[in-house]
Amino acid sequence: MEPSELKTQELHINMGPQHPSTHGVLRVELVTDGEIVKRAIPHIGYLHRCFEKHAENIDYMGVMPFVDRMDYVASMNNDQTYAITVEKLLGIEVPKRAEYIRVIMAELNRISSHLLAVGTYGLDIGTFTPFFWCFRDRELILDIFEMASGARLLYNYLWIGGVWMDLTPGIEEKISEFCTYFEPKIAELDTLLSYNPIFIQRTANVGVIPLETALSYGLTGPNLRGSGKKWDLRRDEPYSVYPELDFDVQVGRGEQGTVGDCWDRYIVRVREMRESLKIVRQSLKQIPPGPHRATLRRVQPRAGEAYAKTENPRGELGFYIVSDGSLTPYRIKGKSPCFTSISALDEICRDAMIADVVAIIGSLDIVLGEVDR
Amino acid sequence: MRTYFYELYQSLDAILKGMLLTAKVAFLKKATIQYPFVKRALPPRTRGQLFCNINDCIGCKLCAIACPVDCIYITANKKGPTEEVNFTSETSGKKPRRFHLPQFDIDFTLCCWCGLCTDVCPTSCLYMTPNYEFSVQNRQALIWQFGESQKPGPKEDFNRPQDQLKLYVA
Ligand code: SF4
Ligand code: SF4
Repeated sequence: MEPSELKTQELHINMGPQHPSTHGVLRVELVTDGEIVKRAIPHIGYLHRCFEKHAENIDYMGVMPFVDRMDYVASMNNDQTYAITVEKLLGIEVPKRAEYIRVIMAELNRISSHLLAVGTYGLDIGTFTPFFWCFRDRELILDIFEMASGARLLYNYLWIGGVWMDLTPGIEEKISEFCTYFEPKIAELDTLLSYNPIFIQRTANVGVIPLETALSYGLTGPNLRGSGKKWDLRRDEPYSVYPELDFDVQVGRGEQGTVGDCWDRYIVRVREMRESLKIVRQSLKQIPPGPHRATLRRVQPRAGEAYAKTENPRGELGFYIVSDGSLTPYRIKGKSPCFTSISALDEICRDAMIADVVAIIGSLDIVLGEVDR
Repeated sequence: MRTYFYELYQSLDAILKGMLLTAKVAFLKKATIQYPFVKRALPPRTRGQLFCNINDCIGCKLCAIACPVDCIYITANKKGPTEEVNFTSETSGKKPRRFHLPQFDIDFTLCCWCGLCTDVCPTSCLYMTPNYEFSVQNRQALIWQFGESQKPGPKEDFNRPQDQLKLYVA
């Protein structure tokens, strides 16, 4: 055969659904040319549990456990979003104390979620120790949640109109103890992982998302901030008691490479943990006494619709609820931050190496439970 | 060549730093426990297996309504006019018990431990125990009975004529 008759062919490779670095059950179809990825097509739906259809048949309060199961590593934040939406629909005021408890829980959950993201990201890249250390520290947060709500993963603690029960006696000391313990651990993580040259080589200049791309795909949360946009719903469209709290919004600055690379997205998460600690400390100081739940006779909003969004660890989570005045919602639509992140995967992965796809998926920090709902 | 050696030095330096940190941790207290032999102390609010003290239940079915997965099955038969109405205990507010409750079953295969049923119970007779170790060999054994004159535990008699809902049997 003449050399001119030889042709090249693109190879389709399936990554997943049982691939450990896909963080759940995601299948990515890679169209490869040698080591280079030409296209990456995510196939989702493996974790679909009909959340939206289910919610149409349960009363408003009963939707809460299902909301927990959307983004199962940040249940408190999901609950907060849903509760805020229904409260908007009902037009009720939540006691100040409940708002502070919610903020404390949401920020602790943000830390635990970021710990999971950072730890497993290290695992994807090939370091093992940070994963264990992150999970060890995450365990302490789960202990706090267990004290407050009785559950370790799916809390169902923030309820419509407030929180389930008041803070357990002694939990405040436990939270401040955790804050003191955890601050040096972030520095340790920095030495071990963030500024490790091998880690930087694997992540800097990899999977760059320019700001324009990030905006056009509607990325939110750390993925958008990693691209250098200072946008945080807690600061820009404040809800709950965030206007009374003082914190910074961390953005990626391209310290180790280009703005918007994997390392930037990673470091935004690490720095946000410090900000969350700040918020928790302030809230503990400012928390007023009072009732922990508004007295609600029954949750039955008038016909109408409401949309509310909050800053989840993964970005902007929103719920759109239409009520027809009955006891069950007429329609609930969840706007998931992970779904928008994953839609940008193809664009980011184009012309990357196969080994970098793992780094890119990890840096987007997706939870498939929320993508598929 | 320079950069090659510089990078080599950098990686070795990073590994050494990491090793030092890890070595320090080796002398700290272990974070793990040997589960079946050592058990964690659970806080009082732990949401484990449900338990119903049927003698305090007034048969209001609020729990069954609140449950998002409908896994509580209650049969409540109104007591006749000649029958005596007894009251719930002192701690649960001395409420009149106007119903016979031959069936009070909870299907733990469906229960998601959300705790919504315990919150609405007016007599606090339905509560969550810290028990989390009740795995069984077949699914039927996860349907528990708490009805009157029944021993709390896995359901023994399926599809009795007076039971209002046919439970999963296979
Ligand atoms: S804990 Fe939740 S799912 Fe389980 S029986 Fe009670 S309400 Fe139903
Ligand atoms: S809510 Fe309580 S009192 Fe009412 S039926 Fe359920 S267990 Fe019995």
